[in-house]
Amino acid sequence: MYFLNLSLAQFLALFGTISVTMVLLYLLGRSRRKQVVATLRFWVAAEQPAVVKKRKRIQQPLSLILQLLSMLLLLLAIAQLRLGTPLDSPRNNVLILDTSAWMASTTGGRRTLMDEARDKARAYLKSVPASDRVMLVRADALTTPATAFESDRAKLEQAVAESGPGATALNLDHALAFAHQEQALGTHRIGEIVYVGPGRVATEPHSSVETPPKNLRVLPVADSVENCGLRKIGVRRSMKDPDVWDIFASVRNYGASPRAVTLGLRFGGSPAGLRRLIVPPRSEREAMFEYRTRSAGLLEANLLPHDGFPADDHAVLELPPQPSLNVVVYSNEPDLLRPVFTAIPRVHVIFRPTGEYQAGPMNELVILDRFQPPRPPVSNAIWIQPPAGASPIPVRARLEGVPFERWCADKPLCAGLRAKDLRLAATYVFEAAPDDVKIGQVQNGPVIVARTGKTKTVVFGFHPALSDLRYELATPLLFGNILRWMAPELFRRTAAAADSAGTVTTELDPDIRPEEVRVLEQDGTPAPFTTRGHTLRFFSGTPGTVRVLAADRETVYSLTLPEMWDTTWEVPPAVRRGIPAFRETISLSRDLWQALAILGGIGLLVEWLLFGRAEGRMRRLKARVAVLRPGVKKAS
Amino acid sequence: MASTPLLDRQFLEKLERLTIHWQKSFNGLVGGHNSSRFAGGGQEFLDHRHFHHGDDLRAVNWRAFLRLEKMFLKMFQVEPRVPVRMLLDTSQSMNSEGGFKFDYARKLAAALCYVGLVRLDTIALQPFGSRLGEGVQCGGGRHRLSPVIEYLTALKTEGRTSFLEIVRQFIAVHPQRGLLVIISDFLDDASCVKPLQYLADFGHELLLIQVWSEDDRTPPWVGELDLVDAETESRLQLQFDEAARESYTRAFDAYADELQQIALRNGGRYVGVSTGMPIEDIIFGSLVRSRVIA
Repeated sequence: MYFLNLSLAQFLALFGTISVTMVLLYLLGRSRRKQVVATLRFWVAAEQPAVVKKRKRIQQPLSLILQLLSMLLLLLAIAQLRLGTPLDSPRNNVLILDTSAWMASTTGGRRTLMDEARDKARAYLKSVPASDRVMLVRADALTTPATAFESDRAKLEQAVAESGPGATALNLDHALAFAHQEQALGTHRIGEIVYVGPGRVATEPHSSVETPPKNLRVLPVADSVENCGLRKIGVRRSMKDPDVWDIFASVRNYGASPRAVTLGLRFGGSPAGLRRLIVPPRSEREAMFEYRTRSAGLLEANLLPHDGFPADDHAVLELPPQPSLNVVVYSNEPDLLRPVFTAIPRVHVIFRPTGEYQAGPMNELVILDRFQPPRPPVSNAIWIQPPAGASPIPVRARLEGVPFERWCADKPLCAGLRAKDLRLAATYVFEAAPDDVKIGQVQNGPVIVARTGKTKTVVFGFHPALSDLRYELATPLLFGNILRWMAPELFRRTAAAADSAGTVTTELDPDIRPEEVRVLEQDGTPAPFTTRGHTLRFFSGTPGTVRVLAADRETVYSLTLPEMWDTTWEVPPAVRRGIPAFRETISLSRDLWQALAILGGIGLLVEWLLFGRAEGRMRRLKARVAVLRPGVKKAS
Repeated sequence: MASTPLLDRQFLEKLERLTIHWQKSFNGLVGGHNSSRFAGGGQEFLDHRHFHHGDDLRAVNWRAFLRLEKMFLKMFQVEPRVPVRMLLDTSQSMNSEGGFKFDYARKLAAALCYVGLVRLDTIALQPFGSRLGEGVQCGGGRHRLSPVIEYLTALKTEGRTSFLEIVRQFIAVHPQRGLLVIISDFLDDASCVKPLQYLADFGHELLLIQVWSEDDRTPPWVGELDLVDAETESRLQLQFDEAARESYTRAFDAYADELQQIALRNGGRYVGVSTGMPIEDIIFGSLVRSRVIA
């Protein structure tokens, strides 16, 4: 016999307090009561004996005993007195079902590890006593409770049936900590934590797994699966030729015997590379490919032959297109500017005479060399020494033989530019607006001005190829800066990687500031991430595409590969294994609180009827009946 | 009529079809709904005077005119109109149940006043404790109820009851006989049977309305009690149990029977009213059954 809700000390303390309070209230209720009445004549007529000097304190002992007994019964009901021993009471068990990506592998035939785990989970549910409550927890990189503590076996089996392999590796530390916490918060007796799975974990187990909880039970799932799969694929533009992609692929053999595999690449459905690899057991091999294309498309990597875990034999990357910019130079002396633009890759330059001027499309850059167009350009434009009346920026003065004074500071447009002793034979000085960027200046004012509006415009007050500037390194740098300012996507460095879902860790380039980093989901919404130093970490629980933007660099992560385990958890010898055989003694532990509560209520009701206010109410009712009764009180 | 704090409008509307009844005939106590043995309207010859222009020709003594050829006018003594008198107990014993008993008695008095006013009776309401208090007289229709309500609302309980003293005062102050309604708990240490008999012997028709609370008739307490008389503040300590309670109730009922006999023996009426009953049930139940009102 034991209490489920209270300890013996708590029960005695509560009962003592209630008993003392009841006795005090009883004595107070039975004390001599002072009462003001309308007259004393009928009291005298009642002929009652006078009050004795020494009066008995307990005048209705049966009432007090009934009250105390009833309160004792009610308190026993609240404390949930039970027959049997505490070991026979229902327990809270947590069933951790491994739903990591590895559970999708097949052991032979068509049965997966997940099927094996489901069978063992069902067997465990059948073995635990019917009154025990079980919480089903699905564990991969995240720990997700599928049910609350539930005694309905049908619901639990349905949750087991609905459990399937995910895309990430198992984080057993987190799952065990979660189970322990849930059991501690529960009201029932703490039962077992049962792990069902092969024990393949993503990282080295922490101390909590090495010294697992005492109530841990493991239902192991055999996984003698020979697997060789893609570990990672990286793609980036070649440093030698921007039209060529450098493709890096890593293949790992998770099995115990060497594997000979064929790694094939296809881009847009066409073969893009083929490599045969011999991968030793529990090791990785890398392969490098080069593929030339300027267009966007899907790059697929296939590993043949397939094995027991086909999910990591195939990966898909989305390759972005090679950006380019069309530049139309309207000049009657094209040779002056030809060396500057032909040196810049991904720029297609067309030289046309000024007489063929057309206000071209929006997505091109127009360079107007010393002439006034009949209609202003609708796209970004560089004006070189325009006529004074046609300049988009008003001309303040025309100077000759003035020394060039300085470049602007702290502006991307002037990055890397250094001033030397230059003298401009003839130049316009512009009347710049406050928001304009004064790229180059003489003593009297700006001679190269950049303006941002609906379109971007740069105006030169002199011709750089007809001045001393043509011999300076600053000239191609200046045009490079202008192009980067006008078309930044042209210079964006793009890379792609096929990786596994879960936690992604990558190193940022040293020149990237952490505050410049943005991580975007497939639909463009920002994703949470952390940076420590130059290490970027973000998490994706499901397969998809994640874009990392940092300054002028973009990396597209195609998280299509399953996250694989790194190590196998060695179950300590002290941990119990297998399906348990519980004693069916739960039926001996019987709830008595209902009967106790009913008995307590009956006791209070009897006391109330015999000694309580019911007596007074019945008396009043009788009095009312007497008033209405014809006879004594009937009027004349 | 504006609603009053004592009686609500719906209840007053129900009272309008009722009439106060008395059984005897009294000089000056008139009402179209009560028969009288006295003919002539109660007028008595007083004197003659000379006729003046504008006087009523019907009062001219034509016999004297034929004899003396002068017009003399007969003058009659008009008897004073005797009101229905109502005495309301305001002693401390009425203050039981936190004043609920007195409030109940006030409502009862207000309801009877309204019944009389509707039938154009004149009502003289007077409080009493150890002595008769300053009363209020009303008449002339239902719109005269407001002063009565204000008067009743302002009344407070005080002092002890002395029926012998107030009967002596009443007979001295009001020599006209008539209907006398007494609303009280009749809890006087000295018996009130003899004073009530004096009133009956003087010629009044008694209508005794005894108001009691449940605690007055059946005390709910048990055990050791330290009792204090509300009026005299004398104390009594006793052991009270169920048997004693039955004895108490028997004594109370015997006293009520004695009051009832006094009333019936002298041609009056008695109504016992418990404050546990709704006042509407008393008006349309007990009072109508006892033909106090109809």
